[in-house]
Amino acid sequence: MKDARWLAIYLPRLATDRLIRAGRAPADDRALVVYAKQANAYQLTGMDARASALGLRLAMSLADARAMQPSLEAVEADPEEDGRALDNIAAWCERFTPVVVLDSPEGLFLDITGCGHLFGGEEHLRQHIVTRLRAQGFVSRAAIAPTPGAAWAFARYATRKAANLRDQLQASLGSTNEDVAAKLSPLPVEALRLDPQPAALLRRLGLKTIGQVMQAPRSSFTARAGAQAMLRLDQALGRAQEALSPRRPAPMVFALRRFVEPIFSAEAVLKVAEDLCADAAEKLELRGAGVLRAELILFGVDGRDRVIGVNVSRPLRAVKPLMRLFREKLNVVGENLDAEFGFEAARLDVVRLATIDESARTLAGVEETAASAEQISSIVDILSARLGPKRVLRAQVHDEHAPERAAGWRSALGKSKKSAPVVQPARDGVQRRPIRLFAPAQIIEVMASVPDGPPIRFRWRRVTREVVRAEGPERIAGDWLKREIMRDYYRIEDKQGRRYWLYREGHYGEGDAAPRWFVHGLFA
Amino acid sequence: MSPRLAPAEPGFAGLAAIMAAQPLHEAGPAGPGAEAAALGFTLALAATWVGPAGLFWAGEDAAFGEEGGPYPVGLAQYGIALDQLIVVRAKKRDEALWAAEQALAARGAVVICALGAQGKPLDLKASRRLLLFAERSGSRCLLLQPANGPSAAWTRWSIAPAESESEDPRDLGLPAFAAELTRNRAGPSGARFTLEWNAHERRFAERFQEKCEAVFRPEVRQA
Repeated sequence: MKDARWLAIYLPRLATDRLIRAGRAPADDRALVVYAKQANAYQLTGMDARASALGLRLAMSLADARAMQPSLEAVEADPEEDGRALDNIAAWCERFTPVVVLDSPEGLFLDITGCGHLFGGEEHLRQHIVTRLRAQGFVSRAAIAPTPGAAWAFARYATRKAANLRDQLQASLGSTNEDVAAKLSPLPVEALRLDPQPAALLRRLGLKTIGQVMQAPRSSFTARAGAQAMLRLDQALGRAQEALSPRRPAPMVFALRRFVEPIFSAEAVLKVAEDLCADAAEKLELRGAGVLRAELILFGVDGRDRVIGVNVSRPLRAVKPLMRLFREKLNVVGENLDAEFGFEAARLDVVRLATIDESARTLAGVEETAASAEQISSIVDILSARLGPKRVLRAQVHDEHAPERAAGWRSALGKSKKSAPVVQPARDGVQRRPIRLFAPAQIIEVMASVPDGPPIRFRWRRVTREVVRAEGPERIAGDWLKREIMRDYYRIEDKQGRRYWLYREGHYGEGDAAPRWFVHGLFA
Repeated sequence: MSPRLAPAEPGFAGLAAIMAAQPLHEAGPAGPGAEAAALGFTLALAATWVGPAGLFWAGEDAAFGEEGGPYPVGLAQYGIALDQLIVVRAKKRDEALWAAEQALAARGAVVICALGAQGKPLDLKASRRLLLFAERSGSRCLLLQPANGPSAAWTRWSIAPAESESEDPRDLGLPAFAAELTRNRAGPSGARFTLEWNAHERRFAERFQEKCEAVFRPEVRQA
């Protein structure tokens, strides 16, 4: 593991901040608390700064709090809404790094490894996040450390009393585990992210600080206080790996830019996209890989993101063709970019990639008479980017009897999963299947017919057609599992030479009803 | 790519050889109900020309018909190599034209640009663009449009289905067309041909009687 850097965010007043932001701040300077039913009693689970200043504390019963402060505004907790608010903040944080982990109910982890320099250093980034969150109405504390555990501890327990200490910590926090250990030592055991029971047990054992836990004899201690404390300690110190799952799967390759001034115009966006593509191309080159799907994420000053995705049919690394795709895509979404307040950051995620077979690349100029497969697939990419992948298609043939299931169309992006049966023209050049198929088949009115034979005259699209020639029947059995009725197909030519593919449903004279006739396709 | 003016051999075969060297041609149905024939004629021309760069078929939704669409099994039987075919279904006409222009950038490609019956015929500028794109990259464009308007295409063909020749009412035979050359920038127009498409050989054949007529008529005049 290279020098990882984690930023932990703690939102101590998430529940009340959210309510105030939603316009539910109490009038006349009254304090706001949030309560929930715990162990058969209403307890305070959140409060604003005013309530804290009045001496109210978390886990206090609502009745006691009301007794102390009769003017209190109390709102029942809504964990779902709080979760949504946390997720929104997490989404907003993705402008700083693609790896944002939800640490419910009131925290976040950001993997900022290698991101600090984009924001003028880690400390600038930390302050920037806290300031911006405050501007949006959320009180937060944030700390940076080599492990999520240590960052979590510093964000929560290097508290007001230790505010100076925390700033010192931030200014000088080294990346070696010894430094982290030294700085964790004075913090209380709760800073180890423990469940209440192990924490209480440690305190009963007289272990009040992390330093004391570190010095306690490990073997006997583990057995008595449970594995959690030791695991958390090892994780905080980087001695044990911690698997955190990001809110969204982390892209395999990404490039990030933050702008000093917001950008507005499509040209500026394209310029940035080009820079990001160049960055990503460099990283891809090291892996010998190319893009299959890339997403350009534009982070609006208004806190909303726009995502512009492009798909590539063959792994691609060159900036120019990638930019052609983004340009086409931006042409389409251009009007909807809605850059009213501008964008303050942009990120390019390579969501899917594949290795590029360098040996298979044709030399430029070798094939002059025909476009290479690469050129064809780049045209497919451009067409798909602008029109959508469902409108740029390749044929697919299946091993099925029913004509409507024997073939179809799929996106020309990507490869077909299985090898399809190859259909060749018949030796006599005669057409057994139409070039155009109706889906569903269209019902026709047969005006005269030979029993168990083809029609003599029929009406379709309000025109009566005289049958001159008819080939058939070709019997196609339906899927009996799906209770499909057998069909008798005829190739028909009318007086004008027009050719149809008709079928009769079921046997003639089966049951009382006259058999139904359909036109399923047209021949050339 | 300078088109030769004099056919090396008479009849449709000679004309087709000249057409192969010209980058933009146009076809349309001779009347209502002839749409499938016009499409068949266009696909057949494309199948005779297609090379390693493949075939693009870009059309607006209206040109594909409102229900259903091209049927891969039938197309393959018709002589279209499915692994070489890319179909682009555009919502609007200008998107279809744009897609055709993009596809024409592929050197050696054959591009069918199919327009629906609705709306005005394509303007001269749009067809000139197709011609330019095709000339620039050595690709070929077949414009399938029902409406007949001013166009930069080298030829326009008006296509109707032709009846089978077979005596047997239970035998349809090969796909057959009555093709009329209604516009020809490189020579006289007005020629009519009855053509049969042999998908296996990927070749048009002219119907025998008309060839006989063409051969014997001068002798009658001499007499």
